[in-house]
Amino acid sequence: MQWLLTLESERDPIVICRLMNIFRRKGLSIETMALASKPEGYSCITVVDTPGTDIDHIFNFLRRTEGVSNIACYRHEPSAAASFLFVESNDHPESINRILEAFPESKIIFASHGKYLFEVRSASHLPPNISGLAEPGFLPLSRFKTSREHSQMELVGAMSS
Amino acid sequence: MQRSFTGSEILLESLRRQSVKVIFGLPGGAVLPLYDALYSAGIRHLMMRHEQAAAFAADGYARVTGKPGVCLVTSGPGATNLMTGLTSSLMDSIPVVALTGQVPAALIGKDAFQEADTVGMALPSTKRAFLVRNAADIPSVIQQAFQIAVSDRPGPVLVDLPKSVLMEKAEASYPAGGGADHPRRLREWNEGEIRRAVDMILESNQPLLYVGGGVIASNASGELQEFAELAHIPVATTLMGLGSFPSRHPLSLGMLGMHGAYATNTAVCHSDLLIAVGARFDDRVTGRIDGFAAHARKLQLDVDPAEINKNVPVDLALVGDAHETLQALVAEIRRRDRLSIRPERHQWLQRIESWRNEHPLEYDKYSNIIKPQYVIEAVSQIASEDAIISVDVGQHQMWTAQFYNFRQPRTWLSSSGLGTMGYGFPAAVGAQMAFPDRQVIAFVGDGGFQMTLNDLATIVQYRVPVKIVVVNNRSLGMVRQWQEIFFEKRYCDIDLNFSPDFVKLAESYGIRATRVEHRADVSEAIRESLSDREPRLIDFWVDPTENCYPIVPPGASLAEMLVGPPQFVLEEEALDDLWAV
Repeated sequence: MQWLLTLESERDPIVICRLMNIFRRKGLSIETMALASKPEGYSCITVVDTPGTDIDHIFNFLRRTEGVSNIACYRHEPSAAASFLFVESNDHPESINRILEAFPESKIIFASHGKYLFEVRSASHLPPNISGLAEPGFLPLSRFKTSREHSQMELVGAMSS
Repeated sequence: MQRSFTGSEILLESLRRQSVKVIFGLPGGAVLPLYDALYSAGIRHLMMRHEQAAAFAADGYARVTGKPGVCLVTSGPGATNLMTGLTSSLMDSIPVVALTGQVPAALIGKDAFQEADTVGMALPSTKRAFLVRNAADIPSVIQQAFQIAVSDRPGPVLVDLPKSVLMEKAEASYPAGGGADHPRRLREWNEGEIRRAVDMILESNQPLLYVGGGVIASNASGELQEFAELAHIPVATTLMGLGSFPSRHPLSLGMLGMHGAYATNTAVCHSDLLIAVGARFDDRVTGRIDGFAAHARKLQLDVDPAEINKNVPVDLALVGDAHETLQALVAEIRRRDRLSIRPERHQWLQRIESWRNEHPLEYDKYSNIIKPQYVIEAVSQIASEDAIISVDVGQHQMWTAQFYNFRQPRTWLSSSGLGTMGYGFPAAVGAQMAFPDRQVIAFVGDGGFQMTLNDLATIVQYRVPVKIVVVNNRSLGMVRQWQEIFFEKRYCDIDLNFSPDFVKLAESYGIRATRVEHRADVSEAIRESLSDREPRLIDFWVDPTENCYPIVPPGASLAEMLVGPPQFVLEEEALDDLWAV
């Protein structure tokens, strides 16, 4: 099952190394990942494949890891309950415009290296003329758990490329 | 104008501000500036004979005090040798601060002499690892290290110190607050969850407390006893939980799991509510998971949210410090009136007692060949009530867990999660440094002892009066037992008959030692050994064929434990006897 994890870490790169090691040891299959650097630390977004029975433990393990903060976890939600959208558009930046047109009230939570996480109102408002949401690179999501209180501030990555 | 100090001086002042009294270490090139400053620092340093032993000693110190133990080693091999000890501390959630020297900052990454990627290696073995880049950063890093080590779920923290940082001069600014005196304590439960938990407890007819090291880490033994007595709930402890509840208390069931008593494991199987407190559903406790407390609802109290639903799904989790959570449960039960405790609890306790009578922990007490359990019971009877017991890993560890009468917390030292042979003796050294006036007894096997016995020199040099009890069966006993029972007696490389004479060896270090080969001499030897304040060694030659029962076979559930030798072993022993005639 696909899950999207976002988190922030302190500036010390050893924390990111620890994170990679945790993913390896806990057997998470990393499908895509982006790391953005900010003056105060790093932000990371990753799509992983792991059984639903393990995700609670992984979320809790990450949120209690020293140097890591502000974890959020989203589950793949291929239904109208989806309220987040992950988009990989390295080669097709026009798809971002399509999303923004289709969901004018959406917020970009993370953007880095062609990877975007949007908060949208709800997929039930999906206009029928927006195609491609079922294509690879579009992952509708619902929030599973977060250590933050306000969804709007879940993770703000470097707005680059 | 503020005075500047070397990094070494700043480090030692930072340690003093964390109330560090003793460091276990071994000097080397990268930490020479620090040892130079240590020369007149007023902090005691014990030179251990191997860095792994320094980590174990710091771990032992931490277990008996609850404060971080500190070890100090040089770069490269000094640091790599430390890793086993740190991993053991991590597995058992023991607060240790490890200080490692590093090559000068300009040489890091250049494969310099005695350079190793210490911080990289420490990643999976510590809660946090720091590389200090500037001497001025030392106070805040040390403060963070001590605070992280004791906060929430405790554990080891490593601080890597390049030689150039130790030599560089800087103006030091020491942050107020923080450090080991200001641990963070996670609490995520709310009053509604406490009420739900108490509902579960009051509804249960056959509840069982399953208690781990978290109770000791949070100093919650008093609250545990109050809770168990108030709600009439029997208490089973993990290996890490020994000492958290008095072994001879009427509600005590002793240890559960792979070598748990029949009554204890059977009670787990029949319980209708399992209350895990500071325990992590380790595979040595659960056996085959689908058979573990299969009929019980499960309530888990743990400070580490990552332990919730990790191995066994639970019905309700209270994430928080055991001390505070148990207090809240006690208060809620009292609020509801203790008379609401069900009368069925008494029948449950009687049922457990009948299982205890059916298959008590036992051995041949009258054999002239010394039975290892007899040695442990004898020490238990003769030693002081507050004696600290340290063990190595193997059969003697399990027999001590089964037969020693633990009366109070922080008196039991065991590398439980990692199961590190060689731990027992140096950990005892660390404990003795924390409490010079208490009896500290290291039970070691003849296998594990040979891994760290070089610290016999340390206890003589510093007059550390540890009493060493060698449970000598001339083999790697637990491995032999498994090969006997589970590998058709295909004994492969378990023979330790070529070990040194431990008595002569101890004497060569200047330690009084004696060998005991007959049961009748056991008690007197123990009394004599415990009568003075000097290091002593007793080499007990015990029955080499004795096995540790009960045992839950690999892959089996607790209900499938063997309470004695399996039939094929008994038949072969009968045949052997026949041939002997």
